[in-house]
Amino acid sequence: MKNKQPFFYTGLVCCLVFVFVITTGALADNIRIGVASPFTGDLAAYGDNIKAGVSLKLKEINDAGGINGKKIELVWGDDLCAPKDAGTVASKFAADKSIVAVIGHLCSSATLAAMPIYVRAGLPAISATSTNPTIGDVGKGWFFRNCYTDEFQGKYLASYVVPKLLGKNTVAIFYENNDYAIGLKDSFMAGAKAFGVKVTGAEAYVAKTTDFTPQLTKLLRDKPDTIFLCGYHPEGALIAGQARKLGFNGPLFGADGIDNEDYIKLGGKATENTYCTVPFLAMSAGPAGKEFAKKFTAAYGRDVDWMSANAYDCLGILAQVISQTGPDRKKIREGLSAINSEGNGYNGITGLTYFDKKGDCAKPAFVKMVKDGKFVAAE
Amino acid sequence: MTRGAMIRIGFLILALIMPFLPFVTDYILHIVILIFLYMILALGLNIVPGFNGLLDLGYVGFYGIGAYTSGLLTYHFGLSYWVIIPLAFINGAIWGILLGAPTLRLTGDYFAIVTFGFSELVVLFLTNEIWLTRGPLGLPGIDVVSIDLSLLGGPKWEFIGELPYYYLAIVMVLVTVFVMHRIQNSRLGRAWFAIRDDEVAAVSCGIKLLTYKVIAFAISAAFGAVGGSFFARWVTFLSPDMFKFWESFLVLCMIVLGGMGNIWGVMIGAAILVSLSEVLRELLPLLGLPVGVRFLAFGLIMVLMMRYRPAGMLPISAVAAQMRAGRTKRKRLKPVSRA
Amino acid sequence: MDIRRLSYNRRRRLFLQQLVNGLTIGGIYAMIAVGYTMIYGVIQLINFAHGEIYMLGAFFAITFIVSLGIPFFVALPLSMACCAICGVLLDIVAYRPLRRSPRLAALITAIGMSIFLQNLAMVIWGSRPKPFPQGALPAYFEKTAVSFGGVNLSWFHLFIYGMTFTMMVGLNLIIKKTRWGKAMRAVAQNKTMAALAGINVNRVISYTFVLAGALGGAAGIMTGAFYNKIEPTMGYIAGVKAFAAAVLGGIGSVPGAMLGGLVLGVAEAFGAGYLSSLYRDGISYGVMIIVIILIPAGLFGRVLKETKKSM
Repeated sequence: MKNKQPFFYTGLVCCLVFVFVITTGALADNIRIGVASPFTGDLAAYGDNIKAGVSLKLKEINDAGGINGKKIELVWGDDLCAPKDAGTVASKFAADKSIVAVIGHLCSSATLAAMPIYVRAGLPAISATSTNPTIGDVGKGWFFRNCYTDEFQGKYLASYVVPKLLGKNTVAIFYENNDYAIGLKDSFMAGAKAFGVKVTGAEAYVAKTTDFTPQLTKLLRDKPDTIFLCGYHPEGALIAGQARKLGFNGPLFGADGIDNEDYIKLGGKATENTYCTVPFLAMSAGPAGKEFAKKFTAAYGRDVDWMSANAYDCLGILAQVISQTGPDRKKIREGLSAINSEGNGYNGITGLTYFDKKGDCAKPAFVKMVKDGKFVAAE
Repeated sequence: MTRGAMIRIGFLILALIMPFLPFVTDYILHIVILIFLYMILALGLNIVPGFNGLLDLGYVGFYGIGAYTSGLLTYHFGLSYWVIIPLAFINGAIWGILLGAPTLRLTGDYFAIVTFGFSELVVLFLTNEIWLTRGPLGLPGIDVVSIDLSLLGGPKWEFIGELPYYYLAIVMVLVTVFVMHRIQNSRLGRAWFAIRDDEVAAVSCGIKLLTYKVIAFAISAAFGAVGGSFFARWVTFLSPDMFKFWESFLVLCMIVLGGMGNIWGVMIGAAILVSLSEVLRELLPLLGLPVGVRFLAFGLIMVLMMRYRPAGMLPISAVAAQMRAGRTKRKRLKPVSRA
Repeated sequence: MDIRRLSYNRRRRLFLQQLVNGLTIGGIYAMIAVGYTMIYGVIQLINFAHGEIYMLGAFFAITFIVSLGIPFFVALPLSMACCAICGVLLDIVAYRPLRRSPRLAALITAIGMSIFLQNLAMVIWGSRPKPFPQGALPAYFEKTAVSFGGVNLSWFHLFIYGMTFTMMVGLNLIIKKTRWGKAMRAVAQNKTMAALAGINVNRVISYTFVLAGALGGAAGIMTGAFYNKIEPTMGYIAGVKAFAAAVLGGIGSVPGAMLGGLVLGVAEAFGAGYLSSLYRDGISYGVMIIVIILIPAGLFGRVLKETKKSM
């Protein structure tokens, strides 16, 4: 047994050396951009969406000759949507001087953990999907996003969707106990108060709950007109099904977390008459958007989703900025923050994008609904 | 100077000069700091199964308590990290005593389950009590560690980048190892080993089982909390879902792999598993293996280790003997008739 | 919403609805808990991987129904059989070699197998939640069968209650009346003496795993069908709760586990309905901890004896 010791120690050193070796090694001539998302684990499906959108744009750019003759190379960083791993991935990207910008992260909590590292290293990051409003403060000018924040979405739901689109004014809220849903619920309730929508009750649930009947029973006692599915589609689908079984026939609505084909698959007939706000809707998009949707379906065999669309535009924005400033981290950041008004915004498939001082952008929301088992534009 | 000691000093020197080696980037430092953090955690957990022979499945609860103690005190009061370390230590110890006193008289299986339940309750509490912990919204923007001599008229020096944290981590690991080593060779340690090897014999030697077990559990919890406090001030962001059962399992893996009860073994276990994690993160996409294989591998490692080398890679002979004792074939029971 | 403001009728309806919810989920916990308790009885091991057998039951079922087009009522026993086989394999591969090892080693192996199986399922079937093919279920499952106090029980509810009841009764009969049952009880009491009495201990233990696996698998299929969501991590939380139920009833006692499951299910429903739903899982943990500390024997069981093998 004692003789194994040196073997063990050398094995240990080999591991560390291996880690060194893997992390270096860049083809010096390409422009390297890091993409951080969960590619394994529970939320791997979302990471796939980002990958799909970015890859499509990458192919387009590289096929057209790259940026000023140089091809773009993407470096994938799997952050598992966990803050700890996000920190490790961020550290890796920051240390690799050949990476000039990052597209990511997907989850707001991951972005919050990663931003201090990016700020310290001076690496600009643009996120397609992180919607937590506080990221702008932590980002200190190095963070940008081309999706709207939860504050906006919640207010939009309360001020427009519920009273005007649905024509109802009492809501029961079902929210997941995580940063996305809590932020959304808070801004919805603030908006509801301002616009005269009555919230009859709010129930929280933990992710992966399967049985909502006790809470639904409680909420439905007050006979709300609609139910707000403030969370992600797996639980939303179950809530829809169980609510219908308990006799609730009104419309349901949710935000971008519900926007997923699986919602209809998991919920079945019960998902009829569900509305949700999304940053991107192929049916309402301009010709560039429709073109993108067609290309996407041709390449991946499934309908386009807003995350892919936003990710596609993220790479597009970066490419435009890099073509003007060259592959330099600081200059890219300055270039991004220069996109600050309607006049010089980026016109992509998701509409016009420009950033404010905190890196947030004001984008319109679209509404879609489930009709006859498919998502269609609302109204 | 034994060979083992020379190797260890060699590693220490390597660690001290590592940041100055040519191809070492901040990323490498980040990983090595993570390794050091897990070494502290593994050394802390090692006390309970390794020295005392009890299975603690709720270690992440203390890790989380320490992290949130540190995070909240910094967030609301801006306390200096040097004050927080002992506070976290004490808080961890208090919770260790609170949990341990009623439960350590239970059988090993029940104790394991109760610790598991405890850690899950801690996570639930951290998630749901938003007024205290901001729950899932997380605690962003925790101050970095700083050495503040302004009261004495000196400068204030903040920890920027990985390098200062690296040396801080080395110091913390050294202190932890020193403490563990001293405990191991003290009366306390020997009492623990006696409990591990044979409880009945220990009691008949006059060792009060419950007292010693509670002390062990409290110290283990305290070190977990200290590790957590470092984590909070290093990552500067906390959220309850960083403290799931998986972390407990990971640290358990480390001590199982490295050698339960062996201080150096668990440190090696920590180093190997953390680097393996990172290596797999890179390697799996390259090999085109399906996702999730990383976690699968860890489960498999545990099962295989228990099957073939249950005392770990660097076993302690007492532990190894115990593991072997039950598994020898019947041949061993020869009729004894020695006069 | 303030309960006090509701009229008596509404309050009674709320109560009954929660009771129905609780009994449904409780029956499922009971089926899983029984598996835990039986295995603990014969080999004194908390089989952490039992929750994964439950999960595999659901996945086998949808694989059979969706990929092979097997009808539901055939897929059900077929998946139960597969789970039974999985249980036996689990024992042979992971637990049997460690039969004489200290408890610590076996516990760690159990946890390792649990993590392994969970991730294996993720690799094979993907980590996204999957719907249960509702088309495979008979149409009348949706319809209301019985109505009382304003609460509707669908045929599906009745089916679950019926299955649970039948299995519990069947299990009790097996344990009390058959030879195998007697052998199981003997092995649970004292392995060495059972071996001396001529019982093939290993085979009896395998048989126990068969029963536990079948029941766990059935629970998984019914959960998947009723709640219409199947994912690889469903075994983890259900396993913990069922274990809490087994502890509540007294580990090692089968009727205790059944009762414990129902009680826990109802407590959860009432807790989630009347108190806070965020601590819903906490109810199980809390119950478990309190029962272990205060009444370690549970409702029906015997106190665990510290055997020499523990480290």
